[in-house]
Amino acid sequence: MESSIHPLAKKTVIYYLMTTSTMLILMMIFGVIMLLNQGELIHITPIWFYKIMTAHGIGMVGIAALGGTAIMWYFLSKYIKLNPTIFSMNFTLSLVGVVFILIAIFGFDFSDAWTFLYPLPAQSAQFYGIVGPLLFLFGVLILGIGYLIMYMYLAKRLIKEYGGLGKSLGWDYIFRGKKGYGPPAAVVATTMVIITNSTAIIAGAIVIIGSIINLLNPAIRMDPMLAKHLTYAFGHIFCNATIYMAVIAVYEVLAKYTKRPWKSNKAFLIAWNASTLFTLMIYTHHLLMDFAVPTWMLIIGQVFSYANGLPVMVVTAYGALMIVYRSGIKWDVASSLLFLAMFGWVAGAIPAIIDATIVVNHVMHNTKWVPGHFHTYMGMGVIAMILGFMYYFNKTEGSIKHNRFDTFSISLYFTFFIGIVGSFLYAGSISTPRRWAEHMPDWVLSDQVGAISGIFVVLATTLITVRFFTGLKSLEKPT
Amino acid sequence: MGRLGVFLNLIGGVHMYQIIALYLTIFFEFLLALAFAFVYGESKRTSKYGPIQEKGYTIRKYYFIGLVAVMGIATYLTLDDLPYHNAHAKESITHETKVVKVVGLQYYWEMSEESFTVGDYVEFKVTAKDVTHGFGLYNENLELVAQTQAMPEYENSVYYTFENPGTYKILCLEYCSVGHHVMTKEIVVKPKGGQANGI
Repeated sequence: MESSIHPLAKKTVIYYLMTTSTMLILMMIFGVIMLLNQGELIHITPIWFYKIMTAHGIGMVGIAALGGTAIMWYFLSKYIKLNPTIFSMNFTLSLVGVVFILIAIFGFDFSDAWTFLYPLPAQSAQFYGIVGPLLFLFGVLILGIGYLIMYMYLAKRLIKEYGGLGKSLGWDYIFRGKKGYGPPAAVVATTMVIITNSTAIIAGAIVIIGSIINLLNPAIRMDPMLAKHLTYAFGHIFCNATIYMAVIAVYEVLAKYTKRPWKSNKAFLIAWNASTLFTLMIYTHHLLMDFAVPTWMLIIGQVFSYANGLPVMVVTAYGALMIVYRSGIKWDVASSLLFLAMFGWVAGAIPAIIDATIVVNHVMHNTKWVPGHFHTYMGMGVIAMILGFMYYFNKTEGSIKHNRFDTFSISLYFTFFIGIVGSFLYAGSISTPRRWAEHMPDWVLSDQVGAISGIFVVLATTLITVRFFTGLKSLEKPT
Repeated sequence: MGRLGVFLNLIGGVHMYQIIALYLTIFFEFLLALAFAFVYGESKRTSKYGPIQEKGYTIRKYYFIGLVAVMGIATYLTLDDLPYHNAHAKESITHETKVVKVVGLQYYWEMSEESFTVGDYVEFKVTAKDVTHGFGLYNENLELVAQTQAMPEYENSVYYTFENPGTYKILCLEYCSVGHHVMTKEIVVKPKGGQANGI
């Protein structure tokens, strides 16, 4: 039974999307500045480079999460009644977190990257003071708490509606032979995200609190390897969860546009259960170059990173191709971006899987190959999903119409995003290290290609965002 | 060294892993783009969904088996290279291991030995004193040939056999604050019985 979204939640979706799109442009400009500097087209000081790098990293992860959450809440509201206050609370705490983080970076020179690898914050505090790292860590903690509360609330609602998270993940159909179709895709995906991302945030909270205590009293220390595990369990899963929230738009919108059902059959449910398990397990591929980690754990990192590609490649992306095939679909910004986003997701998974191979990782870990693959599935995957949803929202709730100008913006975005990720992957293949403020002459050309491509991507994103903001006017007077 | 490593060394050296990664990516991305372009091309026509689903699920079965097979073969071939920390080290004829202690600090490397000779089979015992760094060994062509993390309180051993003379570089491969990109060191590898190029 479908119901309509609460008016306050609808209003909050707009706040989420306005913040996401505006911050996206700013963070993209930061990305271009870094590439221009590496490509020797401009010059900024290393401290400014690393401050911008820190802001770009945490900012992009933050907006991917905000946009993904808006999508999840919007579509989940069709199936279960949700209290919009929780949705607003998460937004408010995210904003508070962002303010803390921005003050830490630009007011107190915090530049330890969004991964804040222990004990780096304490070490940097000796030179730049304790306020920056404290503000940054508290900012991330506050942001995480907002999400954790939201997930706990959603878990409570799903348990009440479906009788347990196992049931909302379709275990009745997988293990108990129940016939028919499982819960809607939005419910299954939300359950998966609740399980994985709550785990991630708790892992993150532990390492953040440990780091804060260490900052306040350096005599109290953590084991750096344990801290590293917790940091990557947090970072990896949190980033992955943004995709699993945003992909709900693909299921909902493509099914609506093609007038074909996208039901959760057994293969679909098995795929989402596998994703739940694998997403929790594979963060160890970030530690493949830590030989002190037990070998079996690293082998898990490789084998299950491969396996984690299967659900998206075999079920979700394949399902998108099947549902669109000879459907007579009407192509507009929403359907085009969501279809292309599935391409982007799988296109990013391919170099990611290759890099999760231990012998390859040995000569490619922490080269630009890494941002190469995650910019593919974040930029051409998650962000494309969010931009597509922004248009869909204005179209469904208002009266915006696709025009040729939109086709131009989408083509511009994808063409030049391929330029960015292509330059990154090439740079990785010639061993260019990631996160270097200044580059050696051999590496500069790929940076310049990336920077120029980036400028056009910023332009395309600005055009799409302007269309979103102008489209918001149509919400008040729907036709 | 496993079968894959031996094969790659025969056809073109260690850098082959990067080349293979790049070309495999381009190849699979091309296939993927082809699939999306084909479906887009067919999207304006209309057919009943039932038969499409039926046929689609049959194709999916083979596609799934194919993917699992590719991943299985890749796993078999690449894990055969274990232990991975010396995956790129050719075994020396004498099996003599030169042990070198490496310590990373903001923003320099301390090494117990900095001069090597072609044929040396070296175990780099890598650690850090302050924060996490990344020990990345680059050859004269600026190709990354081996790496491990330099962790405080932990020691990681990575093995490498110097096959060519020249000036190698150690670059920091884990972000360690604002001097990260200046954390480099040069080491010299002399030819057997002679001196390094240009020295």
